[in-house]
Order: sequence, then C-alpha cells, then structure tokens
Amino acid sequence: MFWRKTRAAIERFHPVHQGLVWQRTASVTLPPAEWDAVVASLARHAETVKRRKWRLPDRTVAVLVPLIRVLCEDVAPGDAIGITADLRGPQVPEKAGPSRQLPVRKPIRSITEWFALDPWLAVRAELRDGSVLELTVTDRVRYRKIHKVNPRGKHKHKTKSKAVQRITARRTLQPGQDVRRPDTPPPRTLAVRVKPGKRTVISATTKLGPAPTEQDQLQWVLAVATEPFRWTPPAAERRTA
Amino acid sequence: MNPCAVTTGFFVLGRCGRPSVTVCRCGRPVCARHVDPQGLCPECAAAQAYADPFHPGWARGYRRRYYEQSSGMYNDAVWYSWFDSYDRGQFDGGDGFDLGGYDGDGFDGDDGNDWVDS
Repeated sequence: MFWRKTRAAIERFHPVHQGLVWQRTASVTLPPAEWDAVVASLARHAETVKRRKWRLPDRTVAVLVPLIRVLCEDVAPGDAIGITADLRGPQVPEKAGPSRQLPVRKPIRSITEWFALDPWLAVRAELRDGSVLELTVTDRVRYRKIHKVNPRGKHKHKTKSKAVQRITARRTLQPGQDVRRPDTPPPRTLAVRVKPGKRTVISATTKLGPAPTEQDQLQWVLAVATEPFRWTPPAAERRTA
Repeated sequence: MNPCAVTTGFFVLGRCGRPSVTVCRCGRPVCARHVDPQGLCPECAAAQAYADPFHPGWARGYRRRYYEQSSGMYNDAVWYSWFDSYDRGQFDGGDGFDLGGYDGDGFDGDDGNDWVDS
C-alpha cells in the first residue's frame, strides 16, 4: 500500500537515476564508464518500478539515454561528459515569465499571456580528438489563458500553449585542427557561425516550431550536432578505442 | 598479430588498433574489448537488431542510420561517403589504418570489389 519495496528498490539505484526519479533533474559530470553504470541502472527501472508517479520522464529514454550512448563512443575513458537535464517540464512556476493582458472583444472577457523558458538539456563533452562539444536544447512555450462568457452567463476557461525549440551545438576545436568548408550548405533553418582563433569555434543553431515530438527529438539534436563535424574531415591515422 | 580493425567513435571516427584475439565471421580481426560473447565484431553484433538504447552496442548499430539520415538532411553525399569509406576500409588489410577509400580530396568511388554493405 505504501510502496515500501519499490521505494527501497529505487534507493538501490544509481544516485543520478534516483535524482531523475525524485527531482526529475540531473546535473553531473562523469567519465564514460560511470555513465554506463547510470544507463545500466536506468535499464532496470521499468521492470522494478510500476508506480506511475515514479515513472521516468519520457525524455530520459527517448533522448537522454541514446545521447549518453552516442557521446560515450566519442569520449576517451579518462575524459568526462557533463550533462544538466531538467525534465520537470515547462509548467514549473520558476520557469514562467511575467504575464500580460491582451486586448479582447466579446465574448472573450480576458486573455492572459505568459512565456515559459525551459532549458531542459545542456551537455558538454571532451571528445577524443581534443575538441569540446557543447549542446543545449531550450523550449520556449507561449501560454494563453482565455476567459470567455457566453450570452447566458456561462463562464469558460481555456489554456492554450504553443512551443518552439532552440537547439544549439558548439564545437571548440583543438589548436591547429584543420577546418574546411563543407561542399554543401546546411539547411536554411540552420544558422552556422565559425569563429576563427587559436581554437576555432563552430556553432550551429536552429529554431524549430512546433517543438519536435519525443520520437523525433534525438534525431534533431544529432542533426544540429552534425554541422560542426562536417567542417573537419575525419582523422586518417588516429587509433582510438 | 593483427590489430583490431573495429571502427570506433560516432562523430569522431577512429580505429581500435589493439591486438586482436579472434577473427569475426566477416573477416575482421577483433580485440578482447570489442568481441561479442558469440565471437562477433560490434557491427555484426549490432546487425542482429539492437533497437534498445539501453544495450551497450546500440550506438554502433545506430551509427550508419544516423549518417544516412544526416547526409540526406544536409544533401551532403561526402558526409556519408566519409563514414562509408572509413567503415569499409577496415576490411582492407594492410591499409596502414588510413581511410579506406578516402584520399583526402574526395571520395574515389566504389571499385565494385567490396562484398560487404555494412
């Protein structure tokens, strides 16, 4: 009745996993081997925890776990991957901005509008080739609460939301690394900026509206992350494991 | 002893190069770290459908699909050919661990002698 066994099972999970269950957030920098342990712990969640309230956030399995797997392939065992994930969603009060009233006409009595800014994923990984990859995903959700009164005095409240998403990928190359402009330009929706210097920085940004579904989310993150890597041909004689 | 010829990495491709302990059924020498319990290399093991991202070999199985998709999105055939030639190059024994079909100036095309598609 009080889910004691389930609670005890959750307390045996990896601490990062527990954070995702209890707080729905994680902010930690770990080497690939430790991330493997986190993913192994997350893999046991579905068979151990049946309570809906303690289910993992959807983006954990759809985005976080595959992204960890991908980054672990490119990070040397001694280097680290830092991930800050806030999977509480955009409806948390501290993510909401100031509200304002919009002009209305009958039968609408009032429209209150506010925006919520939800930077739910930030990743930093030191890659094998000496470059550093940083990814951020931010949702910006517009909420409109509409109050309507019909001729018979009946009140209706309705809240509408509209989300757009910004994905940025920034790769800081190691000093002296070759940079070559790709043969084809990126898609129009992708803005690319190359900042030459001692360590060249290549950044790519896209704004998606509406925000992609959970199934497409990983594909979009990886698609934006692709652009900085198109500027450097693969190393020819690098032996890595 | 032959070095392990497994392709490593996702965005940053590389070759393992550790001493091999066995040879996969596809002909690639594989080291102890990359060999599957069934004696397969990661690509042959991933070909047995690791759809679950919780599986340690998922990223290696997803890698080719990612390169196909991103190459289509960017309309950049070179991006895919980099990966493809790199991946095929591991079957080219004695290539000195350079890129299989990539000579640095562009993709030199398929000579029709490759027997494997992945």
